[in-house]
Amino acid sequence: MSGGHIARIDRMLRPIHRWIWSNRDRRVRKLLAFAEVETDGGRDILRAAETTPDPLLRRLYLEHAIDELHHGVMFRRRGATLARLRHHASEGGNPLPGGHGLDDLAITDAGDEQLLAFLHVAEKAAAGRFAIYREIVGDDPETQAIFDHILHDEVFHMNYTYRQLARVSPRAWRRQIWRARVSRLWKRYLRLAGALGMAIGSLLLVLQYFAVLPLFAWLARRAERREPAGWSPARRPTAQTSPY
Amino acid sequence: MVAGAAPDRADESVLMNILGLSAHYHDSAAALIVDGLPVCAVQEERLSRRKHDSGFPVAAIDYCLTHAGLDPSQLDAVVFYERSLLKFERILTCALRAFPRSWRSFPHAMRNSLGEKMWVRGIIASHLEVPRQKILFTDHHASHAAAAFLTAPTREAAILTADGVGEWATLTAGRGRCEDGHAQIELQREIRYPHSLGLLYSTFTAYLGFAVNEDEYKVMGLAAYGRPTLAADVRRLIRRTADGGFAIEPEYFEYHTTAQRSYSSRFVDLFGPPRDPYDPIDLDTAEGRRFANCAASVQQVLEELLVDIARDLRRESGLPDLCVGGGVALNGVANGRVLAESGFERLFVPPAPGDAGCAIGAALYADRIYFGNPHREVPDHPFWGPEVDAADLTRVAREDGQIFDQFDDGALVDHVAAALAADAIVGWMDGRCEFGPRALGHRSILAAPHSHETRDRLNRDIKNREGFRPFAPVVPIEVASRYFELPSGGARLGRFMSGVFPVRPEWRDALAAVTHVDGSARVQTLEQAMAPRLYALLQAYGRKTGVPILLNTSFNVAGEPIVTTALEGYSTFRRCGLDLLVAGPTVISKRSRSTDEKEAPAWQSGSMAESGAV
Repeated sequence: MSGGHIARIDRMLRPIHRWIWSNRDRRVRKLLAFAEVETDGGRDILRAAETTPDPLLRRLYLEHAIDELHHGVMFRRRGATLARLRHHASEGGNPLPGGHGLDDLAITDAGDEQLLAFLHVAEKAAAGRFAIYREIVGDDPETQAIFDHILHDEVFHMNYTYRQLARVSPRAWRRQIWRARVSRLWKRYLRLAGALGMAIGSLLLVLQYFAVLPLFAWLARRAERREPAGWSPARRPTAQTSPY
Repeated sequence: MVAGAAPDRADESVLMNILGLSAHYHDSAAALIVDGLPVCAVQEERLSRRKHDSGFPVAAIDYCLTHAGLDPSQLDAVVFYERSLLKFERILTCALRAFPRSWRSFPHAMRNSLGEKMWVRGIIASHLEVPRQKILFTDHHASHAAAAFLTAPTREAAILTADGVGEWATLTAGRGRCEDGHAQIELQREIRYPHSLGLLYSTFTAYLGFAVNEDEYKVMGLAAYGRPTLAADVRRLIRRTADGGFAIEPEYFEYHTTAQRSYSSRFVDLFGPPRDPYDPIDLDTAEGRRFANCAASVQQVLEELLVDIARDLRRESGLPDLCVGGGVALNGVANGRVLAESGFERLFVPPAPGDAGCAIGAALYADRIYFGNPHREVPDHPFWGPEVDAADLTRVAREDGQIFDQFDDGALVDHVAAALAADAIVGWMDGRCEFGPRALGHRSILAAPHSHETRDRLNRDIKNREGFRPFAPVVPIEVASRYFELPSGGARLGRFMSGVFPVRPEWRDALAAVTHVDGSARVQTLEQAMAPRLYALLQAYGRKTGVPILLNTSFNVAGEPIVTTALEGYSTFRRCGLDLLVAGPTVISKRSRSTDEKEAPAWQSGSMAESGAV
């Protein structure tokens, strides 16, 4: 097995990772989330293969995309198998956030330099994260084997993105990598801020719901009772300039 | 609703550029009408490569304007396919009616609506930099009605639209007429939310573990494996009203009160536990048969209701033609029954009857009804999308060292027909791509229709989808009734693959790959003028095998939109088990079947469908 370098932050978070993977429900959700992220990432890289003008990159992206789509299938199959083993009911919660993807990178707008730098940084981070997961799921050889397989692929992905970045951007490749790192951090911040904003917004809306709506709700229900079932005359036409 | 309250332009000769848009729910699209005729129409997913992309259709708009050589300032109107504020009113009213059970879904619903959907006029104005007074709105079902009626080759017809829900209406009935060069659409009555045939079907889609708004056709495919043993239970969910309409029994549903689940606990009490999406459907088990019976039962009830409603409409209107729009019109089995049993002689279903088609419907509605421009017959084909560039394929094939050939038209058709007769599976790209969910011969995967092995190979190595789903045949219209039991008007319904009809019993073995388990097929009846190259291929294949029929399925793999460009076709060809790829005069072939198998990644050898991975 070719292991990835485990980042310090992931070492520190090892107890949390262990907690997540120790429970079969959470494990299933995590695997299914990975399946989604890998599949989405694979499709994005496929898009890059379809749009790059560079023939060598097209072939490499295509190979990379096939790997990612394959990873998605492996994660999905394993998640589904574990789900069946414990009679998982699908409505029992959303998947946990996945490990990596293409972070909303606009593939068709990004140049190859930007994309390669981004892929290199993302693959490296993923390899480190998957290496720790591989250790943690020691009680589950099938899942561990998937991480083994993926880590092997990630080495190829890290290497080719690095080499090709140096080829297509011989003078600025270091700067591109730093930009990709900063961009990842910024997007993480945006996600966190977005989630926080959404939570606060939801709380305010729920407060308004209970404070303001009861009277209107009573009126709406009273009106509903008067509505006939079956056919109604079609709505009278309104001006086409109006959204109402 | 008589929708004629518009500036009177009857005597003016006008040249207008009208852009129609549908967005924000599912299948965003843009369509451009110039001088009363469509010039282009494309779903956003075909350009963004995100299946069922619901975002504002930036790429589709860009394509339409670029294709027509127009600047946004040259647009006379931009028409949005529904009334966004009226839709918001419905969402808010339903949250109020469900108080306090709606407290969880309320923040989500408000964020969802207030975030972007409510401000669609501002979004369009800022994106296109057009004056706000040029932005118009049509009712959702008026857009469906216009897409169905104004594109159909008929002067007068009854109109029936049915989908999940628009603003408030879920099903409308009316009529359309073109008289003295002017069109009129009159929607007379409607069924209102939450009473919805589309949502009844979608609820079963969710219950059966499929994705709502995406996988309804899987329920239709599964239905053929079951028996409608639960139809009486389904009828308990939706009662007929004295006026010939229907009403759902709300206690069995939750789609009108929460966003989490569309069916209630009472529904589960009635039908048993729902299917886990990750469990494969095994029709050899009692559980698998129960799900198939559920699908067969809801399918039967849907058909009965539609046939009854259409029969009433036929009686009232006295018209021989019916135009059907809305997502429910994608149900080919129901369309076949409506045609056979309602009394209508012809049924017109547009190639994009769902929300994407509303883009073209909204633009036509504004042109004919609001501006009062003269009616012009819309070309009767679905090919309004981007053209395939064969030069791109030749270039990448050369760069990647692929085996490729270039042929003139006749030789190409013979070459491909010979390959198909030798059981090759072919990715076929020709001209402009289809508007709508069906591949009708310009972005298709073609194969011999004769054996189960071909069907299984397609399901396993190429489409990666469930084994219970059928494939469709394409046949020259002149000989269609030799192989299929087409009722009067059936050939027309098969033009855009909108009807399911029985395969004649004596041909079922010879057409095993396209004959569903119940002996039916979703036939495409091809007229030479619509897709001449495919028509020539069918003829050539017929000369070689005696049967001028091919299996025709969409050129994509599971989870991806149908390919648009040559490069998308190429990347799909490279990663699945296709043997040939054709675009224009260029044909790429894989080295040989045995080499392919060695090259095929091991993970493709098992069916993803086994793990519910489609």
